[in-house]
Amino acid sequence: MLLLQLLINGLQLGAIYALTAVGFSLIFGATKIFHVAHGAAFTIAAYLFWWSNAVLGLNWLLAAALAVVAAVAFGLFMERCVYRLIQRHEGAFFTVFIAAFGVQIIVQNLIGTVFGRGFVSVTTPLSHSVQVLPGLFVAPVAALAIVVAVIGFSALTNYLSRTHTGMAMRALSENPDLIRVFGLDPGRVAQYAFAIGSAIVVPGAIFTAMTAGLNPAVGAHVMLISLAATIVGGIGSLRGAAYGGLLLGLAENLALWRLDPQWSEAVTFVVLFLFIIFRPAGFFGRPHAAK
Amino acid sequence: MRRLRFLALLAAIQWGAAAASAQDSIKIGADLPMSGPNAEYGELFGAAANLAVEHANADKMLSKKLSIQFEDSQATPQQGVVAMNKLVNVEKVPFVLSAFTGVSKAIAPVGDRAKVVSVNGGGIGPDLAELGEYFWNVIPLVNLEIRVMAPYLVQERGFKKIALIYVDDPAGEAIQKELKENVPKAGGQMVAELQVPRNAQQFTSIAAKVREAGPDLVFIASFGAQQAQIVKQLRDNGVSQQLASYSAFSSPTVTQLPEAKGALFPTQSVDWRAAGMSERVAKDWKAKTGKEPNAYVANYYNAVMVFVHLAQALEKSGQPLTGENLLKQRKANGSFDLVGGKMEFLPNGSVSMPIQINEIDGGAGKMVKGGTMAK
Repeated sequence: MLLLQLLINGLQLGAIYALTAVGFSLIFGATKIFHVAHGAAFTIAAYLFWWSNAVLGLNWLLAAALAVVAAVAFGLFMERCVYRLIQRHEGAFFTVFIAAFGVQIIVQNLIGTVFGRGFVSVTTPLSHSVQVLPGLFVAPVAALAIVVAVIGFSALTNYLSRTHTGMAMRALSENPDLIRVFGLDPGRVAQYAFAIGSAIVVPGAIFTAMTAGLNPAVGAHVMLISLAATIVGGIGSLRGAAYGGLLLGLAENLALWRLDPQWSEAVTFVVLFLFIIFRPAGFFGRPHAAK
Repeated sequence: MRRLRFLALLAAIQWGAAAASAQDSIKIGADLPMSGPNAEYGELFGAAANLAVEHANADKMLSKKLSIQFEDSQATPQQGVVAMNKLVNVEKVPFVLSAFTGVSKAIAPVGDRAKVVSVNGGGIGPDLAELGEYFWNVIPLVNLEIRVMAPYLVQERGFKKIALIYVDDPAGEAIQKELKENVPKAGGQMVAELQVPRNAQQFTSIAAKVREAGPDLVFIASFGAQQAQIVKQLRDNGVSQQLASYSAFSSPTVTQLPEAKGALFPTQSVDWRAAGMSERVAKDWKAKTGKEPNAYVANYYNAVMVFVHLAQALEKSGQPLTGENLLKQRKANGSFDLVGGKMEFLPNGSVSMPIQINEIDGGAGKMVKGGTMAK
């Protein structure tokens, strides 16, 4: 029964990881910008949801809408006011990385100053587990996280493959000039990537506020997992990032079946190292020829 | 050129003003977590220390104004040492407030070499009593807490089977060692010992392991946001047994967490209604924060007041305020009148105080067993 319990817990956590990793992967895949501040979008969305729902008492749907608006606004701000400015001055990849890292720290401190540095969480019956079989506890939020992850991923995949903007987003990383030929503005397409990539962290942020709770430093962990999932899944592949997130969530939980709990997070990175050594292109990434 | 001269003049005036103000004040240091997942503690400890400074300055206890230079340890040993080096070598303070077992152990050699006193009011690892003459503790260490807590839980409350969730850092490991020794001694049994990484945030599967072990009580030995996350996730995931912890549960984040209601934790015995210093601190703390004070408030207030009392004595005898003189004076002083009553340092620089047991009731916690000295 313990194994089944760990499997269900792993699926719930994996769904949350997948949702955040997909957003990071979408932005990185389309723009080649290493958006380390993706974790900050997660933190902003989670805190805004908590504040408007648990503190102000707003309806959860309205609170979720506010969280989406805030995450998207943050993503657009980063693209427009930070990355684009650096790239205009031919800023190197490392400059972009440091700038994003700096913003992540600023956001962490701002959140701490505005909302307090302690632990907060959204109290909801959705996070309370019920015993479905002797020794097997499942919370409604587990099923919800899996369903939302599947719907979110399917909607995103459809959008990217069936709409002009979606196709342009996929093309942006390959050949920005080609996008101009089709009369589209690469800057605008990059903004779409940031807006959608930031919006898709919101469900994961809300589920985290309900299940694990929040502190201002929560984004750093999220970013680490998103990055690991992107590498495991194959850089640039959304499907890969989703599977990568799911695999890491499962590995973190199933490790407890045989190993002591202090190894559960280490297992995530063992999986990452195994991929780097034996399958550097990840699940679905394209292998790069040595230059 | 004229503009350059003006800027140089402005810089000189500013430098002169800063130097003059440094001479007009007595500065001590604080190496506390101001960012990261444990920043909540730094905020709490710093506010208590600042209240002591405010009182000392209002009462004109020293010849010059007292101030605190805060540096951010992020609750990590590496960052703690960086901050300590700055306080010792750049700010040249004779006295530093410290917190967290790992940080305290890392900064102690720096203070020892420079003959700067470090005072811990938050870390609880028993080996903090063995960090040399320049490292003092104003908090009873966890070995004393557990020696009171274990017999209470097992013998008085009948929780025979105990599961432990502990963080993989010196504080968590110290608690595991103490429980492993004291629970069987009291007639109980450790049925699970689950060590979790310091930055772990997911505990749903830990809850499954706890349920499988079937304990009467779950003891949580973590700190910061993580301990609240553990409590919430245990309760959300079918763990309904009694919860208990060490003094870290007196953090407002935990005491106000609905899922933590009923949890038991020890602290040193403080009667906040006692006339004099305790009553004044409680009143001013409540006016400033709107909350009841807890044991940490007493500790960091007391840590600053220990410095004030020692500095007063040194000023009276015309000796400079150096770490070396503070140490000599502490040995000469004997006891100190502080929040919670008289405090006396043991020869190893730590303190022995009566320990009370509290239950979380939605406020700062209500006392369920009065002060007992650890055996």
